[in-house]
This record gives sequence, structure tokens and C-alpha cells, in this order.
Amino acid sequence: MASNLGKRKRVTRERPTEPSVAPSPDQSSHSDDEEPDLQAIFRRAFEAKFAPLAPEEPKKARHQEPELDESKEASESDWSGISSDDEGEDEPRVQVVDYASTTRSTDSRTSKADKRAFMSAKPPTTRTTVTSTTTHKPADEPFDPAEASHLKNDLALQKLLRDSRLLASSSSATSTSSSALSLPGALRHKSTDLHLQTLGAKTSIFTQKNMPMAQRKHMAQKTKTAEERRRTEARENGVVLEKETRAKQSGVAKRRERGVGGPAVGKFSGGMLKLSRRDVAGIIGGSGGRGGKGNSRGGKRR
Amino acid sequence: MSDEIASKLLHFKGHRHITTRLLLATLTGRPIRISEIRSSSTQPGLSRSEVNFIRLLDAVTNGAQVQFGMTGTTLVYRPGLITGSAEGLGAAGGVLRHEIPRDCARRGISWWLIPLCVLAPFSKGNMNVVFHGEGCVTSSTPLGDVSADTVRTAILPLYRNYGIERNIELRILKRSCAPAAGKSAGGEVQLVFNHQVRLPKTLHLMNPGRVKRIRGVAYAVGVSGSNNARTIEVARGILNKFVPDTYIFSDVSSAPLIPTKATPSVKTKGAVGFGLSLVAESSTNCLYSADVSSPPQGGTPAEDIGKQCAYQLLEVISRGGCVEPIAAPTALLLMAMGSEDVGRLALGRDVLGSEDVIQLGRDSKVFGGSGWGFRDAGGEKSEGEVVVSVVGRGVGNVGRKVA
Repeated sequence: MASNLGKRKRVTRERPTEPSVAPSPDQSSHSDDEEPDLQAIFRRAFEAKFAPLAPEEPKKARHQEPELDESKEASESDWSGISSDDEGEDEPRVQVVDYASTTRSTDSRTSKADKRAFMSAKPPTTRTTVTSTTTHKPADEPFDPAEASHLKNDLALQKLLRDSRLLASSSSATSTSSSALSLPGALRHKSTDLHLQTLGAKTSIFTQKNMPMAQRKHMAQKTKTAEERRRTEARENGVVLEKETRAKQSGVAKRRERGVGGPAVGKFSGGMLKLSRRDVAGIIGGSGGRGGKGNSRGGKRR
Repeated sequence: MSDEIASKLLHFKGHRHITTRLLLATLTGRPIRISEIRSSSTQPGLSRSEVNFIRLLDAVTNGAQVQFGMTGTTLVYRPGLITGSAEGLGAAGGVLRHEIPRDCARRGISWWLIPLCVLAPFSKGNMNVVFHGEGCVTSSTPLGDVSADTVRTAILPLYRNYGIERNIELRILKRSCAPAAGKSAGGEVQLVFNHQVRLPKTLHLMNPGRVKRIRGVAYAVGVSGSNNARTIEVARGILNKFVPDTYIFSDVSSAPLIPTKATPSVKTKGAVGFGLSLVAESSTNCLYSADVSSPPQGGTPAEDIGKQCAYQLLEVISRGGCVEPIAAPTALLLMAMGSEDVGRLALGRDVLGSEDVIQLGRDSKVFGGSGWGFRDAGGEKSEGEVVVSVVGRGVGNVGRKVA
């Protein structure tokens, strides 16, 4: 390694006197031979006088770059320098990481949304992180029969838990059924209904669309009283039930705000009186259905 | 009202911490007397910006009384009800326009904004104030005031922890940098704070988390936008090593135009310059910020600004705690004004040990608050933080008491 070092130094020193033609390889190898000898002589002399020196570390990497730059046009000699780089496999390579130049390769949409969120007048919210993280799907795993059977059992267990109420009545009624888990007829429908409702169905499949009003009212009344009875009984017995969910009253929310200082027409919000199409029609009165009719009628009368 | 008049004046001395004292007086409704304001200085009495701040307090409150002594070294302040930008009290169209004259240009706009933001949640009505005038500096200043961007990105999000998060905006209508002596700035900033609460929620912020991302705004006012690019390049070069999720946005605007006094049609250019505001956010939504801008006399390359700002951010992060130094008074004041419950906040030792925070603790005790409790943050993750326990006063918003 030291030979290489010596060679480079010599090349740079001799550059002015060097002819434009590149030196022959045997010449360079010759210089390689004589340089370590000199160094060894000096070293021995030094060691004889003082303490023995530590073995010299090769400092090739540092000297490599300037040499590459200054002798760009020289063709032969510098290439040998680079190839010598390959010779020294054992020495550690210098890894250069430039953080300043790394630009994040993100799609412009994300950064734009990000910018809008950050640069708006509002204080930036922490939750609006539109990170386009691609969900890494695990590579399709080999089919596992045990896993499949687990899944099947799990589903069956869930169904059992869901239907346990129904099973009690069915088992007492029909003890002849071969498997306790399979439900007959109407009970099967009920089970399906329960399943659908747990999955988030809005209404039961048993709810009838069209029904006489009195009947419907009675049904609602019945459910309500049954629920109330259940709750009172539970309270008396000291059983803690689930929290009562009250039906949302949609009528109240829709009602118009009638404050004292409120406008007679339209809706005042954000320092702006907002008139709906209906309000405008009511004020103008001309093009609206009633007003127009009135006019035409007036015309006829005259 | 009668008990307010009857209640004794609280006495303070000196010009230091005058804004926090006035703020505490306004929030608690106690009248104060501050004496010996720069009494031994060659320019005795209140500075222009302090007088201007009192003017602002007068504008957003109703029934406040201010008396200055003959020499200006004594001040008696009897606070009124915080009404916000209510109609008929200096506000037009629901917007209060507050002018900052040229001789206040040494202070940045954040000097007015941060105390006003503390008042705003306790206001009776909405708070909508436009700051304008020749002394309105939106960038950071050499005196240490942060820029309006930092107020928006690092201080206003703090209010979310107290349940104050809706309808808060800080619009920077015109940017301006710190002007040289005798020059004017001419920025314009609008603060909209329309979320008033009865009591701020009790805060428990103990875990600072790890910094997960850094955002920032580089601004150039009346100078080339390439300054921004250079600032960002250097700042990112330093910060990317620590947090790869670093984005700094660039904002280039022209110099603000200021109408001259003699002929309003003729306009002069306001202060120019550039700067950088950085905000680091941790995994538990704690914020750390840094702010550096070019000095009024110029001569600093953009690279230096970027480097300085990045290092400043790293320093602020290294101080630790859940709240950074500039936001700590706001956080503690809101805790002290909260419900009668113990709020806890982990602060870095240096942040807690700063003069402002300690004086705030003493002052709040003088104003009738309870003393703060300190203990070392336990746990294996703590890095020498101190947990401050603050009991709220439980008074909160007097204007919203009957609602």
C-alpha cells in the first residue's frame, strides 16, 4: 500500500517535467520497488535510535481524489491508479452520505395538501397528515389447513354465542334435531337477522314496510313497555344493564333558530344573511307559483 | 364592581414582566400599581410599546381605568371586563383595528399577539383584531420576539390542549421585517379568536415524546426568493439527519408599501429582509420552535440564517420538556386560569428555571393563585424534567359566567 502512496506523490511532483505521453507501466513498477527500500532504510535508522514504530496504516483513500481531478486528461497512468483501488479489498471504504442533496421523492399532491394545511391562516392541525403510506401486504402465505379450520371454528363459535338465546328454545321444542347448532325454519331466519344487525343493518328483516297505523303504534308501544319492564326488573334485582340509547330526535335539530335579535327571513351566519331560494321567491313573489297565479287571475278578472 | 374597587391595589416595582402582570391583572380582575418603571434610566417611564400595549388592553376591555404618574414611572391599572372586539367600543364591523406606530418597531408583533391570545379565550365576545401601522413587524426581531408565523404554528396549537381549538386564525396580511432605526415596517396581521370558553380544560402533559417531524416557513420580504432557497437548503442539510420528515415552505412577498404622511398617494417601501421559522412536532404533539431573521442592518448571508435557525431548533429540543420556553408562560397562565383542579406539565429544567417562568409563578401567587408544586419527573424515559403542578383558580371567564 505504501508503494502506491509513494507512486502518487512522485507522479504529482514530476508532473511538470513529464512528457504528455503516459509513462510506461514497467517504469511505474520500477518506482514502486525503490520507494519502500528508502522508507525501510529510514525506518530502521529511526528504530535503532528510538522506540520501534507502529506498523504504518495505509492512507490511500484520502490521496486518491485530488489525483483523479488533476490528471483527468492523462490517460494511462491515472487509470492504473483506479484499478489499484480494486486491489486493496481489505481496507475499509469511505461511505459518503450527503443529507443536503437528498430530496424526498414524494408525489406533489401530498406536499401540496401538506402545504395548504401548514400555510393557511389557521394553526396547523396535527391530524391532517396525509401520508401516502402504501400498506405493505404480506406476501401470500402458504395455505395452512389448521388456520382454515381455526377460522371455521371461530365463525361457528361466534354464531353459537349469537344464537344461544334461540338455541335454548329450539332444543326444548325439538329434541330430535340431529345437530344442535343448525336451526330450523323461522329460527334460522331469526339467526340471520341477528347476524345482519350485528354487522350493522339499519332495520331488522322482519320489519314490515306497510302496516296499519294503529298496529304499528301498538307495536312500538309494546316494545317500549317491554323494555321498561325489563329495566325495572333488572334494577330491582340489582342487575346492571347496558346503557339506554335514546332515539335521536330529528325534528328538533331542524327547527329554525328564533332568537330575539334574529332576522325575520333567512339565516344569519358569519356576518352574512343567507336567503334560500324559497325565501327569495317569498320576497319577490313574482315568479313563485302562487304569486304568478294571482297575477294571471287578476288579469282575467279585469 | 364595588368589591373590585374596594379590593386593595397590588403593588409591583420595575418595568420587567409588565405584560404578564397586566395580563394577570386583567384575567383576575385585580387592580395593580406598578411603580419605579425605569426610574433610574435616562429614558424614564414606560416605553412606547408598553404604552401601546396598554392601549390595546383598553380597546379589548370595557371599563378599564389607566392612570399614569406625572413622570410616567408609575402606573395604576384597574382592569375592566374583557369584551373582545365588540361593536361600539372602537371596533368597526366586528373588527378592531389597532395601530402600532413607528416608534414601537423595535418589538415584533408577537409581543402583542401572545398576551392577546391568552386574553381571547376569556373574552365575552369574539376577538378579531387587525394590527397595522408602521411599527408592525411580522418577522422575528433582534430583541428576541418571534415571528407571526411561529405564533401561528407553535403557540396557537397549544390552545388545543385546553379545549380551545375552533375558529382560531392568524392571517398575515402583509409581511414586514425588522426595520433599521428610523425606518418603518408596515406589516399587517389579523388575529381571529372566536372560541371563548367558560374554563379551559385541565392539562396533563407529561410525556414529551420524540420529535417526529419538522415544518417551517422561510419568508423573504422585498428581497429575492433565492434567499429562501438558500436558507432552506442549509437548514434541511442539518435537520434531515435527525428527522427525515422535514419540510420547509417558502413564502416570497414584496415589500409592504406605506403611505407617506404628507401625501397619502405617494407610498414608500417598508422594511425588507428574510428569515426562517421552524417548528418541530413530537409524537405526543408537543411543539418546539426556532426563529431567526436577517438583522435590520443586513450583511448576513442566507446560509447563516438557515444554519443558526436549525441549531437554535436543536437547542430548544435539547432543553426538553413538553413546552418550549416561548410557549411556557402561555401554557402556565392558562393552567392557572383553569378549573379548580390540579393540572400537570412536564418542563425542562432550563425552561422552568428561566426568569420569566419563575417570576410568573411568583406573580400568580401574589394575584391570589395557589403556589406551584414541583417534583422530578419519574419514569425511565424522563430526561431530568420537572413536573409542575398548578391548581387553577376556578374563576375562568367572568363574561361567560351567566350564559
